[in-house]
Parts: sequence; C-alpha cells; structure tokens
Amino acid sequence: MLERAKSGFTRAIPNWVQVRIPRLGDDTRFAYKLLLPAFLMMGIIHFLPIIWGFYISFVQLDASYVSNWWNAPIVGFENYAKIFNPNTIVGAEFWTSLRQTLIFTVGSVIGIYTLGLGTALLLNRDFRGKLAARTLVLVPWIAPAVVTVLTWQMMFRTDTGMINHILRSVGLIDGSFFWLIGPRSIFAITAVWTWQNFPWAAIMLYAGLQSIPEHLYEAAETDGAGRWGKFRYITMPQLKPVSVVIVLLMVVWTLINFTVPYVLLGASPSDSGKVLMLFIYNYAFSNWSFGLGAAMSTVLFIVAMILAYIYYTRVIGGEFEGGAI
Amino acid sequence: MLSALRREDEGGRIPETWRLSTDGRELLFDAFARFALGLVLLFALFPIWMMVMNSFKSRSQVMTENPTLIPTEFHVSNYFEMWQRFPLLDYFLNSLIIASVTTVVTILIASLAAYAFSRYDFPGKGKLELSILGTQMIPGVLILLPMYLLFINIQMQIGIPMKDTYHGLIFLYSTFTIPFAIWMLRGYFDTIPKALGEAARIDGCTRLGALFRVVMPLAAPGIAATSMFVFLLAFNEVLFASVLGSDTVTPFAIGIQEFQTQTQTYWGQMMAASTVATIPLLFLFVLFQKPIVSGLTSGSVKH
Repeated sequence: MLERAKSGFTRAIPNWVQVRIPRLGDDTRFAYKLLLPAFLMMGIIHFLPIIWGFYISFVQLDASYVSNWWNAPIVGFENYAKIFNPNTIVGAEFWTSLRQTLIFTVGSVIGIYTLGLGTALLLNRDFRGKLAARTLVLVPWIAPAVVTVLTWQMMFRTDTGMINHILRSVGLIDGSFFWLIGPRSIFAITAVWTWQNFPWAAIMLYAGLQSIPEHLYEAAETDGAGRWGKFRYITMPQLKPVSVVIVLLMVVWTLINFTVPYVLLGASPSDSGKVLMLFIYNYAFSNWSFGLGAAMSTVLFIVAMILAYIYYTRVIGGEFEGGAI
Repeated sequence: MLSALRREDEGGRIPETWRLSTDGRELLFDAFARFALGLVLLFALFPIWMMVMNSFKSRSQVMTENPTLIPTEFHVSNYFEMWQRFPLLDYFLNSLIIASVTTVVTILIASLAAYAFSRYDFPGKGKLELSILGTQMIPGVLILLPMYLLFINIQMQIGIPMKDTYHGLIFLYSTFTIPFAIWMLRGYFDTIPKALGEAARIDGCTRLGALFRVVMPLAAPGIAATSMFVFLLAFNEVLFASVLGSDTVTPFAIGIQEFQTQTQTYWGQMMAASTVATIPLLFLFVLFQKPIVSGLTSGSVKH
C-alpha cells in the first residue's frame, strides 16, 4: 500500500528531478498525524506571530496602519535605536522599566525560592495533617489569580487596608504607607507574585526532597554529620537539578508576567511598578505605537529565549540527567 | 523483637542522659518546625481569609481605619447586590463558556500530541518538544500585537468577526494552553504501561482506538488535573481578554474590575464575587489534588 503510493508519487515527477522520499514507517507517519492539529494551531498563534511581531518591530506602525499594516513604512532599526537611546522619551522610560523589571524579577525569584525551599523542608517531616498542610500551601497557586490579586489590592489600601493596619498595630509604622502608588509599588507586586508562586516552588522542591535516597542520610549520619551538615552536603546538592529548573522557569515567568502588575497597579502605574510587560502594553495600546511596542517585546523575547536556551542545554540537555525528580 | 532485645540489653544502665538531651533538642526543633509551618500557612491563606470575610462586611465595615479579621456583624447582602451593578452573571457565563470549550478543545488536541510524544519515536522529536517548551517563554505582548492586527484584518478582509467573539478567544486560549497540556498529559501517559495499548491493538483496536478506549480512560485522573489547569488558565487570562474580548464576551477576569469605578470601589461585592469564583475551584482542587501534585512535579525535569 505504502509502496504503491510512493511509486505513484515518483512517477508524477520527471526523471531528472532527484527526489528523496524519506522512508517513513507506519508508526512514524501516525505520530506526525497526531501532532498535526496541535502544531498547526501553535503555528498560527505562536510561530507566525513571532515572525510577524519581529517584522512589525522594523516598521513604523501606528493607529492609521492597523487595517493596512503592510503599507506601514519600514524604518529599519530606528525603533530599536529609539528604545535603547536613553535620551528619547520612550528610551528613558524603557531603561527605567528594564531596571524595575530586573528588581522585580530578582526579588521575586529569591523570595519564591527561599520561601519554597523552607516550606518544602517543613513539609518533608513526619507529622499529623501533612496532607492537609500540603493541600493548603498550594491554595495561593490554585485560586484564580485575578481575584487574589484584587484581594491583595484591598489589603494594600492606604488608610483602610489590612496591611497598614497590622503594621500600625505592631508599631512598625506611623500613619499610612502608600503601597500601590509611588516607589513602594515595586514591593507590592513582588510580594504578591511571591505569594502566588512560592507554593509551586515548594511542591517541586518537596518532590525533590522525597526522591533523595535515605541511605545518603544514613551514611552522612555515620560520618557524624549533624542537621546542618546533612542539609549542606546531602540535601542541597541533591536538590540542585530541580532548583535550576525552578529558578530558570521562574525568572522567565516573572519577566513575562502581566496579570499581577496589571490588576494590582492598574494600566498606568507609577514608574516604580512599571515593569516591561505593563510598559509595552501601555505603549502599544494607549499610544498606538505598535512598532516600538514590538521592538520592546522582541527584546524581552530574546532575553527570555536566552534563559530558556540555558535551561534547555543545562537541564534537558543532559547535564542533570537523572536528577532529583 | 529487636527493640525488645535492646531494651533488655540496656537494662539498668544509663545512656539516658544523652538520649534525653537529644530528645529534648528534637522536641524543640519539632515545635519550631510546626510553628514555622503554621506561619507559612498563615501567609498562604491570609488573603483568602480576608477575601471571604470581607465579602460578609458592610460598606462601613470595609471602609474603616481599623479593619477586622472577622466581620463584627455578618452581612449577606453583598451576595445579592453584586449581580445588580452590571451584568456580572453574563461575565461569569462568558468565562464559563470560553474556559469550558477551551478545555475540551485543548484536551482533545493535546492528548493526541501527548500520545505521539509518549509512545512513538520519530525524527525531529527532540526539536518539536523543545518548541513546545519554547512557547512557554514567549511574552504575551509579542503575540498580542500581531494577533490584534490578524483579528482586525480577518474581520475586514474576509468578513469573519474575530475580535470580541467567543470563537476568537477560544481559539487563542486553546493554543496557549495546548503546549502546557501536552507537557502535562505526556507525563501521565508515560505512567501507563505500553503493553496495555499493544494488547488492545492485538484485540483489533485501531491505534487511535487504543488511545481513546484504553490509554485515556486509564489516565482519567491526570486528564482531570490537566483540565483543571487549562480551565484555570483560560479563566484567569487578562492580557488578551482586555484587548480582544470586550463587549458581549467580556470574561469574568475583566468584568470583575468594574466594581472599581472612578469614584469608589465596591469591595464587599467584589469580594463576594471573588469568593463565588474561588470556592468551586478550590473544591475541585481538593478533589483532584493527587494527580495535580504528581502532574506538577513529574515531567518537569525528566521525561
């Protein structure tokens, strides 16, 4: 059957054309068929837009070209020159935004990892109600992000918010802090994002802890290692593979997160909370400069891709093969 | 037996001193660990608690400088009044429709692909897997700009409305969730012995039949867990919805922000709506938590 189809196909092609038809097994073709719908959709919504977005970053696309984008004048690297030049308006804001994004990312990832690790270690002990504790810890991660972020917004209110109230009652502050406006907004989004994601890190690390063979600890004990020694020389090295995964994925996901800053601070926050995703969104859809927006998105994408590449080569590529999980 | 022997062996001798002291330290450490875990849980659950409690507060109870952890007086009026301000029920239904259809489409398409990755070897497999992972690294705004143009242009050139339609959002969301679902489902399919599918084939099942009749039913808990995540992702999506999903299809995630008006925010009602949206999901999570946790932690490193 396959043979016939192939010969029929080759007959239709003149002899002088050297066609190489890869000999695909029945199973292989079936596998490709299974993958077709998924990759077709991803082609339209993921791969095509990236190329398209890349193109837009080289044209001057504003509101007047939305319905005939192909007529937008090509300006080469002008958009990139503008965003990287700190003397232009957009450039100055872009650099500020880049700095704030970096603070947000580093702060969040440190918070998420340390809190996650602490939680995982605490969960990895024998006590009653362990399953319940594990379930409850995951709640911030499971609850719909929009409503939890709105709840945080309520708690972060200046005069009537719970957080200022608590800080006042324990005597840490006098009066009221502005959390969502001004220089502290970066702290607010970092706190909320950390709260939302540390459960994920905790569960990943918990699974990592569970897979550490008991005999390693027994051997360490015979060698006279204490609690700290076991943690330092057994636990941490064993957790390294899963830690790399967590940190890298979390860095990328923090870079490209939109929901938390947008819902918590609104579409036009103070400079402090103006992380890249929010800034690009604003710039593209409030000012209708798609070209500049696309150029900034491309920069963000390239940064994310470099990190993803490191993730791939170091984690999946085999350095950590057979790791903790 | 062994312990009994040891006890006899110890007899009246006194290694008790050091044993007591280690026990004491152990006990102290244990108490500390419990306390610390309690703090973590408090941190994790505090906002949820505040959400539920504030939904029972009257306006003056919410807008006070001394907010309480428990309402001084429980009001249920928020749960009735929240529907009247704007079409909140429609927003809920929109989200339900969009997220449910997205889930069905995603699971159907993703399980085919996940099955291929789980059961077959073919040229380019590694690269395709990598591209699936890569899609998780794409900043949404980079896709949003061309998508906006694509939707507008489809509407103008071909005449099919895409912006502000159910099918537009469902198409977008399914594609966003497919890579993630493939990744997760693949982990579940991997745990089902290959022999089962092969046995089904010998019994005359087609290859696709083996997937739908044997593998998928066995992976049902995993599929349920994946479905929940897909549903959650679609339910939570804000970026694309804020640009491409207004008017008649406004989803809950966008609509709920209408409790914030120019002049004031209706916190009590907003928290009531939030509670209504959260409780069913938490319930589902508790129901499916075993496959969810295993799905979260498998397949992330190893495959």
